[in-house]
Amino acid sequence: MASAIHMPRLGMTMEEGTVVEWPVAPGSPIAHGDVVLVIETEKAETDVESPVSGFLRHTYVEPGETVPCGTLLAAITETADEPFDADAFHAAENRPEEASGGGGLEVHAPSAPAAAEDAPSVPRDKPVAPAARAAARRLGIDPAAVPGSGPGGRVTKQDVEAWAAAREALVPVADGVALEVLAEGEGDTVVLLPGLGTDVSVFARQTPELAARFRVLGINPRGVGLSDAPDDDAYEVARTAADAAAAFDGAAHVIGASLGAAAAIELALGHPDRVRSLTLVTPFTEASPRLLSVADGWRRLAREAAPETLAAALLPWFFSSALLDDERARARTERGLAQTLGRVSAATLDRAVAGMRAWSGTRPDALGDLSVPTLVVAAGEDLLTPGGAALAEAIPGAKLCMVEAAGHAVALESADEVNAAIAAHLASVD
Amino acid sequence: MSRDLSTGGAINEAIAIAMRSDPDVILMGEDVAGGGDRSKDGTEEMGGVLGTTRGLIGEFGMNRVRDTPIAEMGLLGTAVGAAATGLRPIAELMFMDFLGTGLDPLLNQASKLRYMFGGKVKVPLTVRTVSGAGMQAAAQHSQSLYWMTTGIPGLKTVIPSSPADAKGLLLASIRDDDPVIFCEAKGILNQVGPVPEDDYEIPLGVANVVREGSDVSLVGFGATVGIAMKAAKALEGAGTSAEVLDLRSLSPLDESAILTSLEKAGRMVVIDESTPRCSIARDVAALCVDRGFDFLNAPVKCVTAPHTPVPFSRALEKAFMPSAQDVLDAVAEMG
Amino acid sequence: MELSRDTLLETYRRMRTIRAFEEKLHELVVAGKIGGFMHLYAGQEAVAVGVCSNLGDEDLVGSTHRGHGHCIAKGVDVKAMIAELFGRSTGTNKGKGGSMHIADVDRGMLGANGIVGGGIPLVTGAALTAQVKDSGRVAVGFFGDGATNQGQFHESLTMAANWKLPAVYVCENNGFGEFTPTEFVVPVKDIVERAASYGMRAEIADGMDFFDVYEKAGRAIELARQGEGPTLLECKTYRFHGHYVGDATPYRNKEEAEDWIQNRDPLDLFERKVTESGVVAGGDLREVDGEVDALLRSAVEEAESAPNPEPSDVLTDVYVEYPS
Repeated sequence: MASAIHMPRLGMTMEEGTVVEWPVAPGSPIAHGDVVLVIETEKAETDVESPVSGFLRHTYVEPGETVPCGTLLAAITETADEPFDADAFHAAENRPEEASGGGGLEVHAPSAPAAAEDAPSVPRDKPVAPAARAAARRLGIDPAAVPGSGPGGRVTKQDVEAWAAAREALVPVADGVALEVLAEGEGDTVVLLPGLGTDVSVFARQTPELAARFRVLGINPRGVGLSDAPDDDAYEVARTAADAAAAFDGAAHVIGASLGAAAAIELALGHPDRVRSLTLVTPFTEASPRLLSVADGWRRLAREAAPETLAAALLPWFFSSALLDDERARARTERGLAQTLGRVSAATLDRAVAGMRAWSGTRPDALGDLSVPTLVVAAGEDLLTPGGAALAEAIPGAKLCMVEAAGHAVALESADEVNAAIAAHLASVD
Repeated sequence: MSRDLSTGGAINEAIAIAMRSDPDVILMGEDVAGGGDRSKDGTEEMGGVLGTTRGLIGEFGMNRVRDTPIAEMGLLGTAVGAAATGLRPIAELMFMDFLGTGLDPLLNQASKLRYMFGGKVKVPLTVRTVSGAGMQAAAQHSQSLYWMTTGIPGLKTVIPSSPADAKGLLLASIRDDDPVIFCEAKGILNQVGPVPEDDYEIPLGVANVVREGSDVSLVGFGATVGIAMKAAKALEGAGTSAEVLDLRSLSPLDESAILTSLEKAGRMVVIDESTPRCSIARDVAALCVDRGFDFLNAPVKCVTAPHTPVPFSRALEKAFMPSAQDVLDAVAEMG
Repeated sequence: MELSRDTLLETYRRMRTIRAFEEKLHELVVAGKIGGFMHLYAGQEAVAVGVCSNLGDEDLVGSTHRGHGHCIAKGVDVKAMIAELFGRSTGTNKGKGGSMHIADVDRGMLGANGIVGGGIPLVTGAALTAQVKDSGRVAVGFFGDGATNQGQFHESLTMAANWKLPAVYVCENNGFGEFTPTEFVVPVKDIVERAASYGMRAEIADGMDFFDVYEKAGRAIELARQGEGPTLLECKTYRFHGHYVGDATPYRNKEEAEDWIQNRDPLDLFERKVTESGVVAGGDLREVDGEVDALLRSAVEEAESAPNPEPSDVLTDVYVEYPS
């Protein structure tokens, strides 16, 4: 019978040791307690005593070799010539300890949520609360399309649920495209068309007065508010006009602001029978270099900054010096503008601006063909579309309401004057 | 039947009930009897620095109510040994700050004996201790160190928020077969409220919805439940419906109650008297991110003390302690 | 010789079991079959057995990181101990404690303790239980010379003396706290001098002499049982191995160590006394040696083939009850 000598573990930190020498030659007798080998650890040379008496039958490790603790170093047999199989003994007794740390690690692929592959990708810069993502997954909608009400435009669970509920009431206007149409009041129809990058809330100060006498339909164009945002290269102005035409029955008084005025012009040219009157608020037919430049900056900011930042940057382009000089009015207006801007995604802006560029300069000569009663509202401090008065002159029979101390967003800034002019205009048509 | 008692009075009553109903329950600690002439009727004794255990020596005598030397490690270690051999001791660690001089018996003995021995022993020990700021007791007598005991497997940590809860939770703690750290927050010790007269237990590990709400969940424990209630009333005035969840015990932690409340409101503020690092507040916030991610409508906000020692000056201590205004600010910030 | 032949043989069996147990462990650790920190008791057998021979099953002992000897002296099952050190589910602690926490409360063994001095207040608490319940039990705390510098020692002995608890505090002064000679770190010549500050009885025993320990511990235990309060008993002894397995003891005076090991081995002393008295023959003791060796051999064999705990067992025994 053979006994094993392993590389001993001497101390808590020892993981390996070096064989220094075998003082006893293989085959020699050895007594219990005799030094059978000398090893070196990180600290010192140490004698290893034989645990039994017998004969040093076989050594497995040469002097100078460093091996892990537990490695079989030698075999001692009771007698010098008993049968002994060195390899079999090694197989049975060699137990090198694994160095601490060690392998055997398994890396699992992250478990993807069930709907992940189908889920629309949310832009990184669009803050969507985890609960909103979960609700969107459940309701099968794209959270990127949902306007957020939280700080920084964060989409909340409530936003998603409200959006989903509101989408039930959307008005289909083309194949696979439905628009958000906000209706208020009773009577003859008035259609409101907002400008670039804004929703019908820009008519917030007109709507109550109009709704007292008319059925007001505020139409959010493609990509705005809850309206669908098809993945087109551009939202053509004529397309916006056609969408609007599909969103109401019969004939209506059409009020458009800025790019919305462009759509109103297209609507009146394309479907004069559907338009009882036109009100063009700060209209243009040729986008100025300044307007295009502001629009491009707006697109970039919409991608990179929160709506609050965007509102702060755009405010001076939309409002008069007098308003900017009034701290409270400025702060209130900026907050309201941020909410409005938060309802339009950067992708929608890209498409709307592309539509505006394509339309710009295509219609100046057609203004003379407009045959419906028209009111042009222009502003004295309009930096973006300063040619309103000239445009009014090009339209046969058009009236002009010029508000001197207002900016591009004249309908918000000088609502009383604008409302009075609209009221008179609509009354004159009846 | 219930009558009004202070939290301290409710704790005194719970100890008396536990000692009457089980002869193995003893009370030990520094000044728990509190001096006096032991040959008399027990009316001279102080009953602890805050008077919480006053009168118990009179009813239960010196064999079961023991003043120990001011030697926290010895007293807690002896209590652990007594608990492991058949008694059900209530040991008082006068202030939680004194964990510094008494930790080993809790950290390395009470919490681990059962596990190390393969389940062959139980340690039915209750350590009552006063935690928290608010008495101008300054840096060494005001800490909220329940995060420390909560982080030690094998210990349970309980912290009541009202007189009635203090009685029911303390009775459950004393009768629990595991070591329990029972924190008496200074902020509620003098609070007075209705306490039922009978012998009742409030189960450990079950949180309590103190107030129902749907817009934001305010999670508190101990003295911060009162802060949460105050904030909830202010929020109600502003049209925000706040739920208030009292954790009652920090270990075991009622995770499902926290997640249920988060799911309901989508927003959560955790209010914790302790300093922020490794706090219960952040532990709960981490739970919400880990297991309630899809419920989150906003970031989970932690309202805690700052990462500083507790100051002395009334003005500084007020600035140190979490307030209802801090909670309202957190709610506004999360949107 | 007032002890009977049977008692003497049983005493020898316990001391011999401790010695053989520790030598076997040394072999198993060096061979890499057993892991963890291992502190051997060999050399101090007369203390554990001398004290515990005065105790009944219902009495309690608290121990140290060098606790195998106390377990065996208190009657803990050797096979379950070996299984524990192999980390098997059949071990005394189901593989959850190992050498530094080996325990068997059913045998009144309140555990080895990995914290130096950590067992002293536990024993004090056990004595408090005995006093409150008036159970007549005595609790004995074993600890080393190093532990008497710990706050837990002073705080516990103060409390025990105040309350006259039925406790005996047994200091095994083996001359070293880990690697540092006691005289470097303990400012009194004898540990017993410390007892004066608690107003506690104290006595010194020859820790290599079973009979001296037996007699003095017996007196202290009896006084404790009679309600006469605690005693500090200092047993002067020697640790035959280093602080732990693998400690090559370069810090130790080789001649001094040789003297203790060759000339003052407690088993040799015991054998000389009992054989010279004629109550027991040398052959009787060799017979015990053979039985002890056989017991350990089968203990190792059984432990090696015993099942490991299940990985899921890591979660059990933390609490009596814990809602998930």
